Amino acid sequence: MDTNLIWWSAIALETVVFFRGLKAALLRKYPLFYAYIICVFLIELLRFSCHEVAPDFYQAFYWHTELVTVVTSYAVIFEILRGSLRHNPAVIRLARTLVLSVFVLTGTYVASDMLHGGFESLPGVTAELGRDLRYVEGALLLVMLWLFGRYRISFGRNLLGLAIGYSLLVGLDVINLALLFLPGNEFSIGLRKSLPITYLITLSIWCASLWSSQPEPLPPPESAIDRDYALLAAKTRAALAHLSTRAGRTLRP
Amino acid sequence: MSGLIPIVLLGILILIFSGRLLVQWSRKNRARLVTIEDYSNARTALDSVFAETAAIRRIFANEDMEFISQAGTDDVQRFFLKERKRLAIQWVRMTRNQVAHLIDLHLKLASYTYDPNPRSEIRLTVNYLCFILASSGLLILLWLFGPFKMVRVVAYTVRAAEYFCSVFSLRLEKINPVKLASAREPRSV
Repeated sequence: MDTNLIWWSAIALETVVFFRGLKAALLRKYPLFYAYIICVFLIELLRFSCHEVAPDFYQAFYWHTELVTVVTSYAVIFEILRGSLRHNPAVIRLARTLVLSVFVLTGTYVASDMLHGGFESLPGVTAELGRDLRYVEGALLLVMLWLFGRYRISFGRNLLGLAIGYSLLVGLDVINLALLFLPGNEFSIGLRKSLPITYLITLSIWCASLWSSQPEPLPPPESAIDRDYALLAAKTRAALAHLSTRAGRTLRP
Repeated sequence: MSGLIPIVLLGILILIFSGRLLVQWSRKNRARLVTIEDYSNARTALDSVFAETAAIRRIFANEDMEFISQAGTDDVQRFFLKERKRLAIQWVRMTRNQVAHLIDLHLKLASYTYDPNPRSEIRLTVNYLCFILASSGLLILLWLFGPFKMVRVVAYTVRAAEYFCSVFSLRLEKINPVKLASAREPRSV
């Protein structure tokens, strides 16, 4: 009964998030995120049908669909990165380098682990692959969150809600997956049961923050006179600084 | 079991950093844009750091101590040492605050530059952490042994401060003033 309630609540919330996005014209603003929501919504429906019709097949089906969910959730990472760094071209380059490095390093680790570990059973392999992909996602998200904090990237309310909800989901899922794959750990069972509730909280955060379209922080306004004056002044200062360094070097005995 | 710790740590860090993002967002609503005025003030502060550095070396100069020990009484020596120690500690604290202010502005101005460089950003972060460690160590050593036995650490701190000043100077030269807000404009975002 409780499981069904959580299931239906998640499906209902996903529907609300999607229709509010449609009404507030946020679909065009965050297309990757809404593609993820549609994908998760369809997976939830399929899982529910599988649970009701063929419960024996449910476990294998769950891990296969979990892999799809994790892969599609990368779209949310790209959405957050795209939205947050739109007005910060300086940080984009740094973010790209760091994110790409983390992705390549962890991808190499996952590939070598799979090659050395062998392919014992298909559900087991998909489950492990899903777990490893979630770890990569967690590492990428951590790098991004660190960059946002360090460079004080401005967030609008919509994007902030998206990032906070997603971080909550990924952060707890990473901890849970680490414990789940540890043999004989009872603590993980309790944590696993709490995950659907975490997902409901995440959906509620998304629902509240994406209820209506909020203005994104704008780049500083430009004024033609200020711009020309400041440009001239800055160039003069730079030239003077350069000149004084050279003069200092020449005059030094 | 050993592989579990970094993964759990990763999850916890994600939660902590997202919390920080939320706090940062709530504070940002009260924060203001970097203005041309800030830009000019930063340059003035930078110039003062350069000018003071040469004078500050004198506080730690052994020649003064040698002169006082030859010419002065015990009371004068004690008074001199006490004064120099106070001055040195004050200087370290002030330099640390000034560098922290420069780093803060550097990060704020990162969005306003023409040409960012990831390698120099990482090097700057590492150097800043080393500087914080060295200056904290210097404060403890100054408090314990006085200003005249710390020549090497002082030299490192001065070099580090000069390094931050030169990095910041380069940063200011690469600023795109078009993106800076005018001081006349309203300051809230």
